[in-house]
Amino acid sequence: MHKKMAFSFPDEVLEHVFSFIQSDKDRNAVSMVCKSWYEIERWCRRKVFVGNCYAVSPRMVIRRFPEFRSIELKGKPHFADFNLVPDGWGGYVFPWIAEMAGAYPWLEEIRLKRMVVTDESLELIAKSFKNFKVLVLSSCEGFSTDGLAAIAASCKNLKELDLRDCEVDDLSAHWLSHFPETYTSLVSLNISCLGSDEASFSALERLVRRCTNLKTLRLNRAVPLDKIANILRHAPQLVEFGTGTYTADVRPDVYSDLAGVLSSCKELKSLSGFWDVIPDYLPAIYPVCSKLTSLNLSYATIQSPDLIKLVSHCPNLQRLLVLDYIEDSGLEVLASSCKDLQELRVFPSDPFGAEPNVSLTEQGLVAVSLGCPKLQSVLYFCRRMSNEALVTIARSRPNFTRFRLCIIEPKTADYLTLEPLDVGFGAIVQYCKDLRRLSLSGLLTDRVFEYIGTYAKKLEMLSVAFAGDSDLGLHHVLSGCESLRKLEIRDCPFGDKALLANAAKLETMRSLWISSCAVSFAACKLLGQKMPRLNVEVIDERGPPDSRPENCPVDKLYIYRSIAGPRFDMPPFVWTMDEDSGLRLS
Amino acid sequence: MELQLGLALPPPPLIPIETFDLNSYGNYETREALGTNALSWPLLKLGPADNDINNIHHHNSSSSSSSSGGGAGCKKRSFDEAPFFDEKRNVPKTLHLLLWTNQPNDEDDDPSNVLHENSSSAIFKNDGEGLVGWPPVKTWRKKVHHQIPNGGAENNRLPAVENGIGGRASKSTYVKVKMEGVPIARKIDLSVHHSFEGLTNTLMRMFGISDGNRKSFKLTYQDREGDWLLAEDVPWRTFIRSLKCLKLIRSRG
Repeated sequence: MHKKMAFSFPDEVLEHVFSFIQSDKDRNAVSMVCKSWYEIERWCRRKVFVGNCYAVSPRMVIRRFPEFRSIELKGKPHFADFNLVPDGWGGYVFPWIAEMAGAYPWLEEIRLKRMVVTDESLELIAKSFKNFKVLVLSSCEGFSTDGLAAIAASCKNLKELDLRDCEVDDLSAHWLSHFPETYTSLVSLNISCLGSDEASFSALERLVRRCTNLKTLRLNRAVPLDKIANILRHAPQLVEFGTGTYTADVRPDVYSDLAGVLSSCKELKSLSGFWDVIPDYLPAIYPVCSKLTSLNLSYATIQSPDLIKLVSHCPNLQRLLVLDYIEDSGLEVLASSCKDLQELRVFPSDPFGAEPNVSLTEQGLVAVSLGCPKLQSVLYFCRRMSNEALVTIARSRPNFTRFRLCIIEPKTADYLTLEPLDVGFGAIVQYCKDLRRLSLSGLLTDRVFEYIGTYAKKLEMLSVAFAGDSDLGLHHVLSGCESLRKLEIRDCPFGDKALLANAAKLETMRSLWISSCAVSFAACKLLGQKMPRLNVEVIDERGPPDSRPENCPVDKLYIYRSIAGPRFDMPPFVWTMDEDSGLRLS
Repeated sequence: MELQLGLALPPPPLIPIETFDLNSYGNYETREALGTNALSWPLLKLGPADNDINNIHHHNSSSSSSSSGGGAGCKKRSFDEAPFFDEKRNVPKTLHLLLWTNQPNDEDDDPSNVLHENSSSAIFKNDGEGLVGWPPVKTWRKKVHHQIPNGGAENNRLPAVENGIGGRASKSTYVKVKMEGVPIARKIDLSVHHSFEGLTNTLMRMFGISDGNRKSFKLTYQDREGDWLLAEDVPWRTFIRSLKCLKLIRSRG
């Protein structure tokens, strides 16, 4: 092949060209053009993304990409966020760290999502990578502030430490003091998930003061309002800021301090935090509102009038996270004030209440869809919906790429017609041709899946709960959705047939989660035996699946493609179905 | 197919479903009309019928690796490690491990029947108190929301919170459980338990302790003050209200 290519470029030229290609998909495509491109590409890939840490082994990754500087790993399935994956399932990062520590010391960035990270892992990172710069832990758990202290003490070039949504064992706030006095390279710090009442404010203040490149600072709830001014005073260059608790005795000096220091932050574009907000202190942020592009008020327990006032000060808002206290009226104001809005998330203030506690309905979502021409991503919790509203939303906003609707009560029908919401969601997939992510809710029959299989050709992730009538529903999705990568299903009457009839499809996807449905143990075994490139994991806390009849449904099933084979770090309640499973279990 | 609200929707079109003909597999592009064979369950009983499946499976993997004229998918196999998967590869989207038909379910393999038969896998796991993981709100969001005062605007001052994560006022109350000697902690939902016996049963199952070994373990808990106490020494109500986390220890003597 090489001899025939008389006009091939020297490797260095190709490498230079490839350096402009950042996206993993493009890099993967490049690597498959021919063998020499594969070789050149693998030596110059600097960022590796592994969507499922069990799809490939650390050794395989290191062997193929000998010089990467940045790795991103994802562990547990998405439904772990809602306690559907029992603790101990897996997703341990230590084996990866251990292999990488041995392979080369020049790793700079580690980004993890839904993985179990121990203090041991953090200590190994601190010890092994001399030029370590970025640590982003998203929805991770298993470590304590001791591990953080090790990172702080050793990583002299650390630029980013982001612990978004992690569960950290808060042993002591003094870990912050482990950053040496000579350390000044911090650019981004997100400790919003930490608890610890005895926050070390002076250490935090000193850290902020000496890190003059700090652009992102997200504090935790323990930082009181009156301390924020002291911290912000030293960081007028901040672009993203998350407050701690936003409540205090209403004192004019605290207020004016805060307002003054905030107005001197001329670069501020993103605000978050706002735990325990009292409305009296909100106007302090009005001076910065006109420049804000991102606002996270999802912890702010303030009512609609205050939210409306706040939102109307933010004409450049692109991203808003808010509680349903905003109500339909607030969303109407949002629709008229924020024409640049791209992403909206409305969370339920009382998710377990039987009755609605606020006046937030489908009307709010309709208003925003009609009024915000750039809206493309929505996560919306509400208590009622209609096909009419969904069709209106779909027609007015065909540019949706992410549409996640959660009608709180399962199987809720169209409140106007009492019909299923099939037609409404059908309209969403029909009109929104670039839809990549969809979450369904409400009363839905197999028909909605027929629409999805027919129209949702770019859909990559689908979440389904309490929907469908029969296997035909699942079959429509598996056979029709060409771009499907992740499918997660719970509490649907889907059984063996659709799964077995579309077994090969599963190899083209990252993963399938299916729980509290009707997939039998026998089908799981068959899949495991016939599909060696799939890991078929049965998760069942009731005990070994073969202690029940074969046609009994398994509790939870997680299927993912893997070239690493079955894993060996499973807890006692997880069984991998493979060629030998028939022999091992009986 | 334009979706018009108000008009009767046409019946679902007959979706051409690829059939899996055991005798002539390898014909990925085939779109035959539905076969009229009844659902064949023999595939699940690994008997002589299995031979065909094995042959066809091998035929599948060998045909794709030896085909020369194909696209990128073929080239991948000549590399040492299988690189990351290419979604656009020409694989049969529906490898059938059984024949699909549109026939109504037979009674004995109706999934909803099977669902009802096994109440342990029924939807409502919390004894009717609520669904696990529904609504899909992350745990730390659930906890925050229940700090909300009922009055609303007047009630501006919220109680100071013990730790950043907030109190455990939400309906699903998960606490950490550790067992002595086991590095990995588990979590247990307290709201589904109403007695020490029920709680202990669940814990025994969770950690795989057989009935015989039960006696050698004691349940202890850490209360809000940080003290470790024996669970059975206090009434259930006191236990529930004051506990922060649990630990199973081996009882000596």
